[in-house]
Amino acid sequence: MVTKIIHIIFSPILALVVGIFFLGLARKIMARIHWRYGPPLVQPVIDMIRLFYQKSVSHGRMFDLGIILSLAGSIVVVLFLPFGQICPLAGSGGLLVILYIMLLAPLGLALSGGQGANPNISIGISRKLILSLGYEVPLLLVLLAVMTCYKTISIVEVVNAQDNTGWSITSWPLFLSGLSYFLILPAILGIRPFDVSSAPQEISSGPMAEYGGKYLAIATIEHAFVLFISIALFVNLFLGGAANPAIFFVKMLVVFVLGLCINAVFPRFKIEQAIRYLWKWPTLLAFLGLIMTLVIRS
Amino acid sequence: MDRNQITKWIKAPAKMANKYSLHAIYFCTGCGIIEVPPVITARWDAERFGVIPVATPRQANLFLITGYVSVKTLRAIIRTYEQMPEPKYTVGFGSTHLWTLIDKDMANGYIRYRENYNSYRRNQELVLGELEWPPLFLVSDESQGNEQ
Repeated sequence: MVTKIIHIIFSPILALVVGIFFLGLARKIMARIHWRYGPPLVQPVIDMIRLFYQKSVSHGRMFDLGIILSLAGSIVVVLFLPFGQICPLAGSGGLLVILYIMLLAPLGLALSGGQGANPNISIGISRKLILSLGYEVPLLLVLLAVMTCYKTISIVEVVNAQDNTGWSITSWPLFLSGLSYFLILPAILGIRPFDVSSAPQEISSGPMAEYGGKYLAIATIEHAFVLFISIALFVNLFLGGAANPAIFFVKMLVVFVLGLCINAVFPRFKIEQAIRYLWKWPTLLAFLGLIMTLVIRS
Repeated sequence: MDRNQITKWIKAPAKMANKYSLHAIYFCTGCGIIEVPPVITARWDAERFGVIPVATPRQANLFLITGYVSVKTLRAIIRTYEQMPEPKYTVGFGSTHLWTLIDKDMANGYIRYRENYNSYRRNQELVLGELEWPPLFLVSDESQGNEQ
């Protein structure tokens, strides 16, 4: 019982540290790719200290509550995800619960931005929701394939099953699903080529346009959590989880750096190009993976 | 980061964080903005010191004003400045501000900007908030060379 309480307190903090480390690493690696020296690794922490000391402008009650809802949603998802062997709410849910609660983060941002009453926010949010419509279809197919293959909805059991059978990205029908998840990962993370919703040059960073001071700091923390969640889900489902947090972290790092390389070289899609891409190749691969899993497992 | 700096961080975190984290928004009138790309890209890389460009005044705490200011653009500058959250800093960026401020004859720039009928010359009198504006000049060698 005491261990469980410690884990419940400890795992979001761990996730936050990993997420913020990734944010810093992203800026450093992008700078090195651009042949720049780049900021120090702790730059996001420095930014956050500055933002929390800054005065900020609120636009109303929903503006405050929406962003807190979004942050809370992200923290709850972290409790359901195994990080190494740390998983506080292992018995209480599974992939289906994660799928539902993952929607709270963009919903909170949408509610908060709605009261901001800035046209750039409306455009950004509509793009964000259209994009999530694009990647939710292949994501659902991928998760269905995984659930059918291991005959469980518990993510911990999926991780344990991979101890015996090897990583599921190396097993035949699930390889297609894993590939599909990796193809939609930039869209889930909102990095290039799928940064349509937060495009700074087009729509003044979209949903973030009215956030300043503490709001921007909370939005950054929420972004760090989203980064952690989507990569940790990939590592748990397809790279076999890990026996301890250190190995898990190394696996996450490899996936994240691969994603960053895609981010560094590609320009931005238009929203219709993004949807056309997301509903073509990743969906096709995920669908094939699901069909073949069904055929082989039955 | 040496020991001295760590002591500073513990004593005054807000001050140090303001020093090393500047989110810049810029107001550009053509001529000075050409000096921004070398500053934020590989040539001088301002991100080393935590300076990155942002898209909206709400997220910014550093206001770069590039190029000369005419009476009409002054209104837009003040409106943008008022949207930024406190504490905030303003920088007159590029060589143009020097030309508009310095009184003695400086060849080309003097005639183009200071003697121009529509440019706002009384920059010292323009005090935004508690900061006198412009408090700092960033002038590259190249731009001075080009003027002569």
